[in-house]
Amino acid sequence: MKFTLSWLNQFIATDGLTVAQIVDNLTMLGLEVDSVTPLFADLEAIVTAKVTTVDKHPDADALTVCAVDTGTQTLQVVCGAPNVRPGMLTAIALPGVKLPDGVKIKKAKVRGIVSEGMLCSARELGLSHDHRGLIELDSQLAAGMPLVDALGLSDIAIEVDLTPNRADCASVRGIAREVGSFTHGTLKPLVTTVTPLTGRNIGYEVIIEEPDLCPRYAARKLTNVTIGPSPLWMQQRLNAVGMRPINNIVDITNYVMLECGQPMHAFDFDTLLGQAIVVRRPRPSETSMTTLDGSTRQLEPDMLLICDAERPVAVAGVMGGHDTEITDATTTILLESACFNPISIRRTARKLGIPSESSYRFERGVDRNLADSALERAVNLIVELTGAQTDPDGIDVYPGKTSSLCLRLRVERVCNLLGMELSRDQIAQYLTSIEFQVNPFDEATLEVEVPSFRVDIEREVDLVEEVARLVGYNAIPTSHPTIWMDSPKQDPLRSLRQKVAQVMTAQGFFEAINYSFVADAHLSLCRLADDDPRCMVTRLLNPLSEELGIMRSLLLPGLLENVRRNINFQRPDVRLFETGKIFLQRQGGAQPEERLHLCAVISGHRYADAEPLYFAAQEADFFDIKGAVTNLLKTLRIDGAGEIVMFGSEPQPMQPYCDPACGAVIRNGDKVMGFLGKVHPETLKGFGIKQPVYFFEMDLESLLNVELKPKQFSTLPKYPAVKRDISLVVPDAVPADDLLRAIQAQKQKYLESVEIFDVYRGKPIQENHKSVALSVTYRSATTTLDDQSVDKIHDKIVNTLMTAFNARYRKGSEV
Amino acid sequence: MEQELSKLKQEAEETLSQVTDADQLEAFRVRFLGRKGGLLTGILRQLGQVAAEDRPRLGQLANDIKLDLETRFDERKTQLTETLANASAGGTDYSLPGRCLPFGKLHPITQVMEEICSIFEGLGFAVAEGPDVETDHYNFEALNIPKHHPARDMHDTFYVTDSILLRTHTSPMQARIMERQDPPLRYVVPGKVYRCDSDITHTPMFHQVEGLLVDRRVSFADLKGVLTSFTHKIFERELTLRFRPSYFPFTEPSAEVDVACVICGGSGCRVCKQTGWLEILGSGLIDPEVLKMVGYDPEAYSGFAFGLGVERIAMLKYGIDDIRLYYENDLRFLSQF
Repeated sequence: MKFTLSWLNQFIATDGLTVAQIVDNLTMLGLEVDSVTPLFADLEAIVTAKVTTVDKHPDADALTVCAVDTGTQTLQVVCGAPNVRPGMLTAIALPGVKLPDGVKIKKAKVRGIVSEGMLCSARELGLSHDHRGLIELDSQLAAGMPLVDALGLSDIAIEVDLTPNRADCASVRGIAREVGSFTHGTLKPLVTTVTPLTGRNIGYEVIIEEPDLCPRYAARKLTNVTIGPSPLWMQQRLNAVGMRPINNIVDITNYVMLECGQPMHAFDFDTLLGQAIVVRRPRPSETSMTTLDGSTRQLEPDMLLICDAERPVAVAGVMGGHDTEITDATTTILLESACFNPISIRRTARKLGIPSESSYRFERGVDRNLADSALERAVNLIVELTGAQTDPDGIDVYPGKTSSLCLRLRVERVCNLLGMELSRDQIAQYLTSIEFQVNPFDEATLEVEVPSFRVDIEREVDLVEEVARLVGYNAIPTSHPTIWMDSPKQDPLRSLRQKVAQVMTAQGFFEAINYSFVADAHLSLCRLADDDPRCMVTRLLNPLSEELGIMRSLLLPGLLENVRRNINFQRPDVRLFETGKIFLQRQGGAQPEERLHLCAVISGHRYADAEPLYFAAQEADFFDIKGAVTNLLKTLRIDGAGEIVMFGSEPQPMQPYCDPACGAVIRNGDKVMGFLGKVHPETLKGFGIKQPVYFFEMDLESLLNVELKPKQFSTLPKYPAVKRDISLVVPDAVPADDLLRAIQAQKQKYLESVEIFDVYRGKPIQENHKSVALSVTYRSATTTLDDQSVDKIHDKIVNTLMTAFNARYRKGSEV
Repeated sequence: MEQELSKLKQEAEETLSQVTDADQLEAFRVRFLGRKGGLLTGILRQLGQVAAEDRPRLGQLANDIKLDLETRFDERKTQLTETLANASAGGTDYSLPGRCLPFGKLHPITQVMEEICSIFEGLGFAVAEGPDVETDHYNFEALNIPKHHPARDMHDTFYVTDSILLRTHTSPMQARIMERQDPPLRYVVPGKVYRCDSDITHTPMFHQVEGLLVDRRVSFADLKGVLTSFTHKIFERELTLRFRPSYFPFTEPSAEVDVACVICGGSGCRVCKQTGWLEILGSGLIDPEVLKMVGYDPEAYSGFAFGLGVERIAMLKYGIDDIRLYYENDLRFLSQF
């Protein structure tokens, strides 16, 4: 809602208050001021000038050469305006001044004659469309004064960001009422008297078929109307608040709406058929109508229409019809001032896609009791400004008349909710300042009559808010709730996520956050089969773009896009992770399943920050990502003990976006916990990435059900360990991990741990074989082991390996 | 023997004073103090052969000399080590960078969100999370925003179906929590929220932390107190706060909270649009209608709720000037926090 200070002052005086004070007070009343704009700032440099002599231009018939008095000097100006004459006072733009349209004035020669400035028309000054000649000012005024002062234009536009509940403030007078609460001034009435409208012998009738949707409809007829531009002051006010002047009648209806909040409409009476206004829904045959903007609108059965005796002539409260609109030829008008059901208007405006100033107000609720005084105000203005005549009587159908709402307000309730002491009389005083009728009900209760313009006040608590607003939120004290001691339960998923984030950042991964909505194309880039459950996506009806059309069912694509972006910005060494929800639409029409997932990617160099100074440049590979997973599982105390298989490489359940030659499954017994590997080359290509990317992903929620290794102390060994190394040559196909398992499976006494310390392929080892070097640690808890007893066990272990894996010792010649 | 000892002492002292490096020092130790064949050790061995009455005196003397030499040796060693260290400073350049293994950081949004949650956890609030894809019921209806309510204009909503949508705020959890639990209760709800709006100051997804507290006789003054404490803590200074009337259909009275601009301190700048104030959160006493819908008696219980924008607070804390940076996951951005 935009208004100007001078317009506001028409209803309430603000003497003694600066603009900043008014703005601050309004904001603190809940009418947040968005902007304060001095009007006509671009005209500041324009001054008045008196034309003293006018001579013909020697070389151009249409031009004159004038001597112009600017108060301090006399200048020679070439002018082309037909109305220039000695003695007139007009406006001049001197060299160096910029006109509102951006043209900069220069001292120049016009057809050989020097012109030291430019005399301006109203259009050149951006004041109106009038370009018939120079702007003519009151010749009593002095030359050389600022034009803005000469025209009394100096004003300030203030824009308030209205919350949807404050329909009453969608008008200058409504704002003025609020201003009155802090100036304690008197709000001036819209009109002094209101003509009673009987509806008798007026030559037309108004029938409301849908009283629920139209509680009130008032109308008056005016004759001998001359359509033309509205006066300059009205155009300027409309312009100042962002409304385009159209013609005197339309401008007056808009002006009155801005002034008091009552939307109005004017029909060309002569185009209305059958001298009747019928407020009704469309007949089955009425499927469309043309609105005054020239477009054809589809009508639906639940829309409310204003009709004449035969056809729709307006979409009620939203937009007028084309056939009955005011034209230059109009001489008789019917002026409508009505009230419509907010929900019906909102629905219709939405469906037709035409939000208007009128529907904005009706949707929020227009004061039912305003229709007659607003109509009076508009009629008065039309008579005064256009010379039209009004019918002495009109019609006011008011089926929705209700008595005003009375609410009880308990003083104690106010004090308890606000947390401060207020007396009954203080509360009464506050409410009275914004035109509430307040009477004491008893010692501790007030009876409050809610004015009809406050459609938002329906309950006691609404009054409490009014009191709070008027007291001023900052005058309410600050306290702390008396708190009960308890220690809230931790959300286990949240704790898990925090732990995961800790481990991942400690391992060099930066956390990423990507949008939850992604491109449809991600699914095919990840090579998901059509029947993959992750293709059952949650789809948005109104996405911002195709690229943000579906809820993600995978985290990897977002991270791949991040990898590409970082490579493009010359950061090719990337470690990123994200913990976030994925969405699986298991059935249509319901909320999708949301699961918290973890995904991490590594690409580029392993030790980017220390290469090549301390480490030889090395690309990260599968074992970097595997190490990250191992550390994560260790920290989470998922240790793969018992039946748990931590990493399997069965090709079966591999992900389609994983390179089949380089991937593994993270398993907990039979249950798959996640996947790791190299991103499939085709997927990478699809994301425009030319370097390998390794990833792992896990369903964090499934981790919650995994049994964790308890934190349990075991005694530190007292006796020394004995190490034995084995170097075996085995067929290439034997996984090194199988050797470890085979050793552990023997459950030999004193066996403490086994580690792989070297794997070697190539000469001098025979083809299709590799050498695996293992280090086995033995220890007894009760004694220092001697070589003999260790050798005995060790030989047993080695022999078993030999037979089980077709292995042999690595010979000296192979070293 | 006595002469021998004093001669040895003199010689040893001279030699030690001429020692200039570790090798010479070691040679000195071997020659005089060495267990096998050291000069002093040799003399001590001869003690057995001297007259019995001289033995204690000579023994004492020899021992004193040994101790004295050992002390001098240690002193010299320390001296030498220092000198050597100074001398070799030219050899190792300690200004070279450390050997940095990869390290990562949390996203600034997570950092700020965790900070917000932990401030409230310190006040006894529990943390709960809810679904991102919500029903119209919880996102709007249960919050006193029926269909065709103009307040829906304030939420540019992404829809999945007519009745399922992406939550436009974290407030739906208010009703979900209150439905399953009786007062007293206090919760914060961090999470992602969505609005179809995208420009330099809006991203279609952003983060909020919702808070609510319900008990007997909770007042607007309590709301002010808790939010003031929180704000002072999160911005690490006692910024001036301003509570300003606003409108949310699910709170009454409703308030928006501004802090004195963290950039200019209130004198007016580009960030605060010359107002001196920055809006950081919306809040209010929970509307009795909302309490009624979850089966609470609004005469017996009252409560407050608030919602704050995490991106905004992170921007103010860290001076980030473009909200879109948050979701590009550019390492040059992520590594700054």
